[in-house]
Amino acid sequence: MATADVAVVGAGLAGLTAAIRLAEAGARVHVLAAGHATTHWAPGGIDLGALPDSRTSQEAIDRLAMVPGHPYGVLAAELPAALAWLRAVLAREGFELEGAPGDPLRAIPTAIGATRLAALLPAGMAGALPAWAPDETLVVCGPAGFRDFWPEAIAGALRRPSSWRGQTPPGRIEAVSVELPGLAGRRNLSSLDLARLFDDPAWRRAALEGIARAVAARSRAPGRVALPAILGLNDHPAALAAAREILPLLPFEVALAPPSVPGLRLYAVLRGALRRHGGRLQVGEAVHGTIDAAGRVAELRAPAAAREFVLSAGAVVLATGGIAGGGIVADGPATLREEVLGLPVDGPPAGNWLSDDALSPAGHPLETAGIRTDRHLRPVAPAGSTADGRPIAENVRVAGSLLAGQRYLRERCGDGVALASGVLAARKLAGVAR
Amino acid sequence: MARMTGPTRLPRIVDVLIVGGGATGAGLLRDLARRGLRCLLVEKGDLASGTSGRYHGLLHSGARYIARDPQAARECIAENAILRRIAPATIEETGGLYVATPDDPDDYVDAFADRCDAVNVPCDDEPLAALFRREPALNRQIRRAYRVPDASLEPWQLVEANLRDAADRGSQALPYHQVVGMERNGGFVSSVSIADLRSGTIERVVPRIIVSAAGAWAGRVAALAGIELRMSPGKGTMLVYNQRMTDTVIARCKPPGDGDIMVPVHTVAILGTTDIPVEDPDHYEVTPAEIEDLIYEGEKLFPDLRRMRILRAYAGVRPLYAAAEFARSGELAGGDRAISRAHAVIDHESRDGVANFVSIVGGKLTTYRLMAEQTADVVCAKLGVDQPCTTADEVLPGQGSGRGYYWLGDRLAAHEATGGGDAALICECELVTRPMLEAFLDERMPCSLDDVRRGTRLGMGPCQGAFCTFRAAGVMAARTGGTVAAQAEPVEDELVAFLRERYRGTRPIAWGRQLQELWLSTGIYWGALGLDAFVSPGSEAGDGHG
Repeated sequence: MATADVAVVGAGLAGLTAAIRLAEAGARVHVLAAGHATTHWAPGGIDLGALPDSRTSQEAIDRLAMVPGHPYGVLAAELPAALAWLRAVLAREGFELEGAPGDPLRAIPTAIGATRLAALLPAGMAGALPAWAPDETLVVCGPAGFRDFWPEAIAGALRRPSSWRGQTPPGRIEAVSVELPGLAGRRNLSSLDLARLFDDPAWRRAALEGIARAVAARSRAPGRVALPAILGLNDHPAALAAAREILPLLPFEVALAPPSVPGLRLYAVLRGALRRHGGRLQVGEAVHGTIDAAGRVAELRAPAAAREFVLSAGAVVLATGGIAGGGIVADGPATLREEVLGLPVDGPPAGNWLSDDALSPAGHPLETAGIRTDRHLRPVAPAGSTADGRPIAENVRVAGSLLAGQRYLRERCGDGVALASGVLAARKLAGVAR
Repeated sequence: MARMTGPTRLPRIVDVLIVGGGATGAGLLRDLARRGLRCLLVEKGDLASGTSGRYHGLLHSGARYIARDPQAARECIAENAILRRIAPATIEETGGLYVATPDDPDDYVDAFADRCDAVNVPCDDEPLAALFRREPALNRQIRRAYRVPDASLEPWQLVEANLRDAADRGSQALPYHQVVGMERNGGFVSSVSIADLRSGTIERVVPRIIVSAAGAWAGRVAALAGIELRMSPGKGTMLVYNQRMTDTVIARCKPPGDGDIMVPVHTVAILGTTDIPVEDPDHYEVTPAEIEDLIYEGEKLFPDLRRMRILRAYAGVRPLYAAAEFARSGELAGGDRAISRAHAVIDHESRDGVANFVSIVGGKLTTYRLMAEQTADVVCAKLGVDQPCTTADEVLPGQGSGRGYYWLGDRLAAHEATGGGDAALICECELVTRPMLEAFLDERMPCSLDDVRRGTRLGMGPCQGAFCTFRAAGVMAARTGGTVAAQAEPVEDELVAFLRERYRGTRPIAWGRQLQELWLSTGIYWGALGLDAFVSPGSEAGDGHG
């Protein structure tokens, strides 16, 4: 039987944050995850909060903290320290996070020619943060035939002023496709294939020189060039430096549909940090556990290939994600279940899960479904029960988008909640470390 | 395809104007064209986007109708044989098995073979051991099984082939063209106004005869000519499963009811159907109660059905005519299924005093050709044309050597054989490559992403368009500089419309993996790609199509 001081279930931003913090504090940590998490498909920034009418992330955070039942009610105070910690972890690997919660939220172009609001982006994407000047040109540039980035479609949509959410667009928007070295006729490349090519110094120089020529033919300074987020997977800092050196305009990466290269970079940094502090990480195990009579979870079990895998742990951090991550499962049109421990799920009544409109700005009522906790992130008994609000599992802490009361997509608060709850969960469990 | 470019002063003169681009209209266009008439077909949406594109995919053997409607059963088996000859590439030879579960009545089970025999539907006893070996997911309580020549039939390719044959003979079909007015001159419709819904222009057409093949919408078309024709559309809801839990059409040995037939179609299997009268064929919802009813009944065939992943729910409207007529005379009893699905050619000369207006109502996709033939006979008699019908003998264009057993690998193999193995895969679920998409666009632009879906199956797999929609939009934009057509919608609006349309089918079955999939696609489009920037509040379409 494997043992650990703390078992962390889930390898997204929340789970890895909690795990690294605990490992830094000397705990023996074992992370178990059924699969890869939102790091592999999220757009790559750190979204702390953005509401349609909030000027800054901080404003959104402060407002969300006042919403009854929103995780920020407890977590907002943790954010500054959590963010400082993440910046330090990233800096160690040569990654920089630009922007701050108090900065204005900016309309950042996306791979369909829309924009999304962000204030805190990794260096590779941060070129999109400064406001656009009327004399600036935006050149949308992608590899010819790359199926996840279509410069003409993106530029066409970005030319509509309404795509910019009321912010000033660039004065001119151009589209250009470039044949990259050795790829003529190879059309079935993924963003990962291309990102790996950019890890090769010789290839990327040739590619960037080709891009530079094409961009120069379209536009002179001032301006910026939008590229798909493929500038290196394992050696992104060097690829980014080369792009800045060779291209005639400031480059910035644009988030793509999954798999997310910026997300994979973040995951690699966090995984590295965890391992450096002696934490273990096991992906591919869907675990289950039970709360015993004393209100504790003593072990987690997984049906591994040859024999059952059992992990005995002093405490558990549950960071399995919400419905998207698989932490919460709907067994039918009326039943929500928490996957690992069978915790009570707090959510809207059956029959009122989804909006009539797929794209309703208000979102779906079901988005708020999750696990309700106390201030210590312990799961609590459901509302209306005799034990309402009392913790039901002493040594369990819930983190990330599994927490009830948030709409992480509409409120764009998912990364902030993940970071802050990961940090808080780790602090609450610091006592179990030896 | 030629497009009208603006209002013309001179009306277009044709022999026959066909209203409705489903299987019946397409079959009629072909039939009349082969008899030497110059015809025009108009369809207010995409071709086969109404009932023909919203059925369960079954080529009937007739076994479903042996008790209630022997005449329909005879027609089905005859047309079944004809379609296998003239349209082999649209048919998958699945075979059909009628099985007796413990819930099915003994007398029906016992009489099944004799009744099939009486209407010439070939029927063989299937030994239970062979049944379970072939279809292991079936309920082990099944006590008897009969094999009949059911099959699955691809409606979009069938319609396309009929239209191509007609086009080769000088007749034309125009999608997104709607009849908006008819001018009556006494007992005669003298001209018809047709709106191009994409450009907004209106053209006047002068036909010698008008045929309404508008199915559930036939009442509205007749009303334009001042004719009262009461239709009684019946909604049929179907569930699309992620996998083929059966490679054979499976149906129950009992009078037709809800959730009693499973049809393997391409990569999926479709459970059908309910039958609920609806007021308006354009506005109807799939209800949770219908879905529960379908699954509850379907479990009697496949006990593990509740654990299987449903991709979407959708509904079509049956073009029932007789129901309304019976209702008028007070003879309706026992719900819609008691009514014959058999069709009727209505000559409005004798019925309503309009000499050049004919409606074809009722029927089912399997008998579309027969319906077209009988309608064409009436039209030809009126026009004094005595050419015989040839549609039962001449193979449709593009049939090759037939399709046989369907597997997705066929698509891949055909593509790789042409050296396209490294072509960009636009839709991973259904293996739609960029060359396949471009070939479709070459023929069909301007068109919508939803048209692309019907033409290529793009977005019809497990992800329901999450990964392929923006790619397809990008391919379209790359060809047109940002819009689908000069006067049509920008690509980004297309994207919004397509995702909303897909949601209508996902919403009623949003649980389990498909709820997770919905959350994933919302995460992609709303979270990562900022699609909400394109969404203006209150712009939601009110169309109820599932």
